[in-house]
Amino acid sequence: MAATVDKNRPSPEWIAELRRRFPCETEIDRVLTRKLERRAGPPYAPVTLAQLQAGTESLLKTQLVEPFTVRDCRWLSGGASKLQMAFTLDWSQPGVGRVSTPLVLRMEPSEAITETSRLREFQIIKAMEGVVPVPPTYWIDAYGEHLPYPAIVYGFAEGVTKPSASSSNVSGVGTFMPPEIRETLGQQFVDHLAITHSFDWRQADLGAYDRPAIGTQALEWALNHWERVWEEDAHEDVPLMRLTMAWLRRNMPPVDHVSVVHGDYRLGNFLYTEQDLKISAWLDWELAYLGDRHEDLSWCAKRPFGHLAEDGKTFLIGGFLPMQAFVARYEKASGLKVDPKRMQYYDIFNNYKAVAIVLATGYRAPRNGKTHQDVLVSWITGISYSLLDELRTQMAQTAELL
Amino acid sequence: MELRPAFQIPAIIKSLSDVVLPAVDPANKLAQEQGQLVVAMLHLIAQRLPLQYRYDRHELSRYLALADALASAGAAIPEAADALHALAASAAEGRLLMAAAGTEPAALEAANLALRERVGAVVTAAAATAQDVALKAINAAVMAHTQEELLRERAWIALQGWEGPASGLPAIETLIGS
Repeated sequence: MAATVDKNRPSPEWIAELRRRFPCETEIDRVLTRKLERRAGPPYAPVTLAQLQAGTESLLKTQLVEPFTVRDCRWLSGGASKLQMAFTLDWSQPGVGRVSTPLVLRMEPSEAITETSRLREFQIIKAMEGVVPVPPTYWIDAYGEHLPYPAIVYGFAEGVTKPSASSSNVSGVGTFMPPEIRETLGQQFVDHLAITHSFDWRQADLGAYDRPAIGTQALEWALNHWERVWEEDAHEDVPLMRLTMAWLRRNMPPVDHVSVVHGDYRLGNFLYTEQDLKISAWLDWELAYLGDRHEDLSWCAKRPFGHLAEDGKTFLIGGFLPMQAFVARYEKASGLKVDPKRMQYYDIFNNYKAVAIVLATGYRAPRNGKTHQDVLVSWITGISYSLLDELRTQMAQTAELL
Repeated sequence: MELRPAFQIPAIIKSLSDVVLPAVDPANKLAQEQGQLVVAMLHLIAQRLPLQYRYDRHELSRYLALADALASAGAAIPEAADALHALAASAAEGRLLMAAAGTEPAALEAANLALRERVGAVVTAAAATAQDVALKAINAAVMAHTQEELLRERAWIALQGWEGPASGLPAIETLIGS
């Protein structure tokens, strides 16, 4: 007995079948199709700082008229998905004059644990500038015309993801927020989410985003997106994932208000300045889409992204505030309701999505040597089984499975 | 269970070769030499691991043949009688094991993969039915199987620490038999 499809060498017919079975947003379809078409090609080859510097200079020559210098290139760590190079740019900044600006190049590897669009990431951050704190974003090489792979040049945002004295696991999981900073940061944590969800995206330049109608269209696209990822990348099939997707499709709640959904809004994905406790930037917008706010609401409330209060009983969302206070502040700030049933639905959706990322893509990308940190990505695969166990508990609690 | 050596070792080699070893101090000859040897050793392990079981089985078959030859040739040597008797006992055990050692690990893995895929297809196909009773029975069977499977998988990777030291996970050895 053998599995029927060789996912390491996908055939054009199989790719076409997946695209037909799982229609999703145009730009998401493009990046997923590109991933499959390149999969049988060579693994990720190490890129030198000199190559990245040359690629960055090539990109900037198309953007800058005045002379410039790229210098002090060095690697940055952090994150499981993209390569990052810090550098300093000496240039003539429009309206400012000659300056030296510290910048970050964020580039995809050949395949990432989250296969996403740099164009969407660039557009959403530009759209959110001045709305919520985001890192300054300068230039994009959307299709890898200058650099080995698509990339964005960011400015540095000042701040830390966790208290300097704190420790945590990969991606900020397990961070403890001390009581004295909870109220100030927690209010911003909720308010920025409320502002994001009530933002009028219709006027924004979001050409790489398909615009869903009120109803279930956004959710159908999202379900197709993540089931497609599961089909493309999973090695071992998991019956629970099949059962969950069937349940998610049978129980789709209509979207009452189409919002910008961050897609990974949580502790660990914002920077704050410790001297004045101000959130200085929301990071990692690559999974953003137009959909139901309850995805973000239930995701940021997950246990790994918070902790218990000093009473040992009260769970603090993000390490900041209990659910009741979180909901009350969010509803007041956004004018949008929090629906417990949709919170439950998106909690299940989020676990499906997380397992598709860490178990399916987390296996397939390093299996083919496609990332710059295969050992980290394959290590993260291990968290899948805790997520699946949580998903099993959630599914057991849904009425039709009892 | 995805975290198995065939998946993990190439990732370790790539990390060592692409990132870690180029950053080792060129003047530290001991670290340089041992780093290269670690990578070479991992390549050897990765290459030979799929053949390990077949190798052991082949070796057993050749020793059983040698034991037969010695039993025949040594029968006329009284001084070797005790040693030949012990050899015959071990050979008898070996023959039993040889008879039971019929399936290679790769074949087991492939069978599991295929069954997973076909179970998944049944779950998806059944989800489209209006037969509520049958659907609930299928779901219940999947959920029961999943509970047991996930306990096994979580115990397998417990050392990674995702669930903390107080996870209460049983030792994997208690879950998969002797």
